[in-house]
Formats: sequence, structure tokens, C-alpha cells
Amino acid sequence: MKLAWQNIVHDRSRFSVTVLGVSFAVFLMVFQGSLLVGFLRAASRLIDASDSDIWITARGVQAFEFGTTVESRVREMAAGVPGVMETGRVCMAFAVYRTPKGKQQVVALVGADPNVGKRFPVPNVPELAGEISPDAVLYDVSDRDLIAVPALPTEVEINRHRASIEREIQGHGAFLGVPFLFTSYPNAIRYLGFRPNDAMYVVLRVSKGSVVADVKQSLQERLPEVDVLTRDEFAHKSRRYWTIKTGAGGAILTAAVLGFLIGLVVVSQTIYANTMENIEEYATLKALGAPKSLVARIVLTQALLCGAVGSILGLFTVIPVIDHTKSLIPWIYMPWWLPAVMILPSMTMCSLASIASVRNALTVEPGRVFRA
Amino acid sequence: MPKSRLMNAVCEDSAELASNAVEVDLLKSPANSTALATEDQLEAGLTVHEVGSSHFLGVEGASVSFGKGNARVFALRDVSLMFERGTLSLVMGPSGSGKTTLLSMLGCLLSPDEGSVFVDDAVVNKLTEAEKTAIRQRKIGFVFQAFRLFHSLSAIDNVALGFELRDPKQSQRLEMARKLLDQFGLGDKCNQEPNELSPGERQRVAVARALAGNPPILLADEPTASLDAQAGRNICEILRNQVDEHGRTVVVVSHDPRWREFADRIITLCDGQVEQEENDL
Repeated sequence: MKLAWQNIVHDRSRFSVTVLGVSFAVFLMVFQGSLLVGFLRAASRLIDASDSDIWITARGVQAFEFGTTVESRVREMAAGVPGVMETGRVCMAFAVYRTPKGKQQVVALVGADPNVGKRFPVPNVPELAGEISPDAVLYDVSDRDLIAVPALPTEVEINRHRASIEREIQGHGAFLGVPFLFTSYPNAIRYLGFRPNDAMYVVLRVSKGSVVADVKQSLQERLPEVDVLTRDEFAHKSRRYWTIKTGAGGAILTAAVLGFLIGLVVVSQTIYANTMENIEEYATLKALGAPKSLVARIVLTQALLCGAVGSILGLFTVIPVIDHTKSLIPWIYMPWWLPAVMILPSMTMCSLASIASVRNALTVEPGRVFRA
Repeated sequence: MPKSRLMNAVCEDSAELASNAVEVDLLKSPANSTALATEDQLEAGLTVHEVGSSHFLGVEGASVSFGKGNARVFALRDVSLMFERGTLSLVMGPSGSGKTTLLSMLGCLLSPDEGSVFVDDAVVNKLTEAEKTAIRQRKIGFVFQAFRLFHSLSAIDNVALGFELRDPKQSQRLEMARKLLDQFGLGDKCNQEPNELSPGERQRVAVARALAGNPPILLADEPTASLDAQAGRNICEILRNQVDEHGRTVVVVSHDPRWREFADRIITLCDGQVEQEENDL
């Protein structure tokens, strides 16, 4: 095993190239993975932020951002279904936003009842009472430049209605390219021109002791004209829509898959080339009587050492880069498990590539040692 | 340098000891052929090997060809050669005469298309790769024209690797490697890497590695081809010494005429066949 370590330490330039190759691959995989994970997360962020068990949407709604209104009786009928403990309303539509200086732009306006969820960004919750007005408008810090308010609070116009921008929030940055604004449900339908009893999404909480699937089935039977989905189902549907059915999502998904594959190929190629450069030494080892298992162990040890060092270097590089990228792409997100999930296949590929090259090392004709 | 023929006598003298072990742990000193091994030599693992059997190492009716159909070329054709224990045989011949092919067969690195290969009285060409590897590990040391030292390991680690390959449990391998290098005048170069050594020094390290673990057979392929006159002569003397003092069987493939004075026997190959044999030189 000393030979494995010495081979690595001795030829530092080759080791550096190998490690750089692996670290680039890990960087690519983790960065592209973070883009995909962040995009998926952003695509269902508001759904996930609700505490509801069930979402009722108009039939055929594919994503949270593209809902249409349902009749007011839907909420009333849903409230009467056994097992439903509480109902709430959520709406989202695009609106025209005008800054105090007269600059106009499209925004996505989200309104929700205060009982939708503790993590759901609404101003009219008891925790914020006294701090901001119940009809305040919130925006994400990453949209500060687009919202362009000089101070908080600031009076602005939304769909020609006066509104008060009062607070910055975090973690709800735009991924559509337009900023999201959050306000109370009554305020939102006023800005958006909905009728008072209209709802875009009816969200339900199921009482303790009731089974969500059973309640969902009862709701669907009673309300066949709408879609009844669990929160996870709607989140999944929304993510699927954005990643599969839109060009942007498709591009990110494709880039992530390609990044993963390219990363694996780079790792394999690098490790393979590294092993093949030592093929003469393996032939000598075999000629001297080294058993195949020893040759395999040496090759595998070298590959895994290069893979481990390259992976660590790649991670140390990608983490600050992702942090820095958040100012440009606020929804990029690297969950703790992503590096592990990416390093695992890269180490596996190191092993597989080394096994492929081990085959060459093991089948190398030891008689070649006599060639000068 | 006078060629020693004393090994048979040594073994007869030490017959009782020899009967107790395949490898007799005795050494014959340069000055006194019957002296016991010095402590250093024993610790370095150098032993005297029994001299005797006429089928110890060799090939019988061996043919080796490469290519197929019209492109088939015979590297060796129906060659029969036996190498006795405790002798130094020189295999000469022009390029393409089959010298290296013969050496590859003797080293269990190549199997003949036809015929048999003997190592230590056993037919080895029908053995599995793992069995041949085990034979190389235990019985054969190799010396190459291009040295084939591990460039990332120091001289002592290269030799220690030779010990490790033959006995992975050998815990004294570094000490034994140091003693071997000392014997070859490289005691002060132990920690130098191959590229810091002269070609002659590299070849001495390679010989020390080949001797690590005490194999009874040494196969050398053009061991002096890359060396200057003095270094080449030094290697000739070292390998001759292995025959005279340790009873090893040495087969040298070389174009180098300097070997003639060190060889017990000269075999000349031409076009894959034995052209000439000169015995009892």
C-alpha cells in the first residue's frame, strides 16, 4: 500500500491534474444539482409552506402560479365534509406594480388567509399584530432592486390600488423572473379584482383522528368539478410542471443531468488515465509475483484517494460559489444531503473507473517487462 | 574472476543440513567455501540453494508462435534446453532469435504453444495464472534491462517491496533491505529515489530487489545493456557471485560479450532454434 500512496505523493503534478479533474466533476455535479434542487424547491415553496393537508384547485391546474378561481360554494361544501377541521384561501395572480417614482412592472401577488400556515408569508398573522398593518405588502429581500422602494414603509400602487410595502422577508425569492408580493387574502382579491367570495385555492386541515386519504376521497366525490390533492401531491404536480413542461425547467433538468453525466465521465476518464499511466509498474509488479488482489488494491486505493481529495476540494470550492451565486440566483439551494449524494456516485465512479483500469492492469501481459 | 565450481562440493559437505530444508541456510563466504553464513547474510535472507537435479529449470520441445495464418511467426521452434542448479547460463543471439521469449517462458510469464516448461523440477506451463504467479513470487527473481524500479519508492523501499511480495508478513523487511543494499555498496543510497541514482546503481538496486526473499532462480534480460563498462562489469560480478556463493541458477540474456568470461555455458539462438551450445567453459 505504500506504493499506492508514494505514487500519488511522488508525482504531484499528475496527482494535481487528477484531483482537479475530480473536483471539477464534483463542483459541476453539486452546482447543477443545487440549481435543480433549488428550482424544484422554489416551484412548490408556497405549497410546502402551508400547514394544510389538502389543496382544492380548479380542474386541470398544473402549478401554483397558474391557478384559476373556483366557485365560492366549493369552500362552503368542503367545510361540511366530515373530517375537515379548518379551511383557508389562497390566491395568486399577476398584477401591475408601480413604484413611487412611477416605474411599472409585473409582479406576482399572493394573498392568503392567516390560518394557511405559520411559514406562509402573510402580514395579517397575530405574531405581526401591532408591527405592521394587516393589509401590508411583503416582498423578498432578493427582489429589493425590482421593488425599488426607498424606505419601509412606502406607498406604492398595485393594479392602480394604493398599497403599503412594509417589510422584507427571506426565502421566497422569485424564480419566475418577476418579484413576488405577499399580502392578506382580502387585500389581494381587492387588488386583483376578484369577487369577495372567490377563491383560487381552498386549503384544508383535517381534524385529528381523520385519515387524509379518506377525507380527500370524500371531498372528490362531493366536489367532482374540482381537483382535490394532498399538499404533497400538489407540490409534486407543480414541480413536475415546472421541470418537465416548461422550457426553463427542462433546461435546468437537462443541465443537471448532463452535469451529473459529464461529472461522472470526467471522474472516470481522469482515474482511468491515471491508472493507465502506471500500467508498466503494474506489469512489473505482476512479473515480480504480486497477486492480482494486491495490484487491484493498489489501483483502487490510488483511485479512492484521488477521488476523496478531489471531492473535498470540489466541495470546498462549490459551497462558497453557491453562496455567492445566491445574490444572482436567489432560489439556488444546496441541501445538506446533496454533496453526499453527489460524492457517492463520484466515488463509485472512481471505483468503477479504477476497476475498469484494474482490468487492464490485471490483464497486462507481464512479459512486457522485458521490453526496454 | 575464476568461475567457481565449488557449489556441488559445498552441498555434499553440508548434506545433512541440506536434507533438513529445501533452502539450506548456509552461506559460503568468498574466502572460504564451507564457512557458515555471516549474521548479516542470514538476516538479509540470502541462502545457499541445493545443487543437483538436471531438470531443475528448462524447456522441452517448446514452440512459441505469434500471429495467425500466413502472419504466423515462430519465436521459438521445438527448443529443448535445461539449466542446472548453481550455474550461470548466457543466452545470446541476434534480435528476434527468441532469447526474450525463452526467458519469458522460464519466468512463467509465457506459455509455449507446444512443449513443456520446468521450474524446480515441476512442469509449470499447464498451471493456472495464480499458480504461476506464486512460482514467480517464491522462486524467481527478475533483472531487467530498463531496471523497472518503482520510481516513487526509494532504493530501500524498492528492495523492501521485493521482500514484501515474497512474504507479506515479513516485519523486518526494511532492515533486510538495508543489509542487502549494504552488501551491494549502496548503504549510503538507501533513501534515494531511482532517478537520483546512476544507471549502475539502479541496476544494483534492481538486483537487490530480485534477490530479496532469496529466490533460487535469477533471470536477467540484458542486465548490462544500459550500463557503462565499469558498472556492467560490476553487475556481471554480482550475478556470478550469486552462483558461486549462493548457489543460485542464473540465466542471462545478453548481446554483451563481457558475459562470456562469467558464464558456465553459452547458448546461441538463431531464428527460434538453438544454433550452438558451449558447455563447461
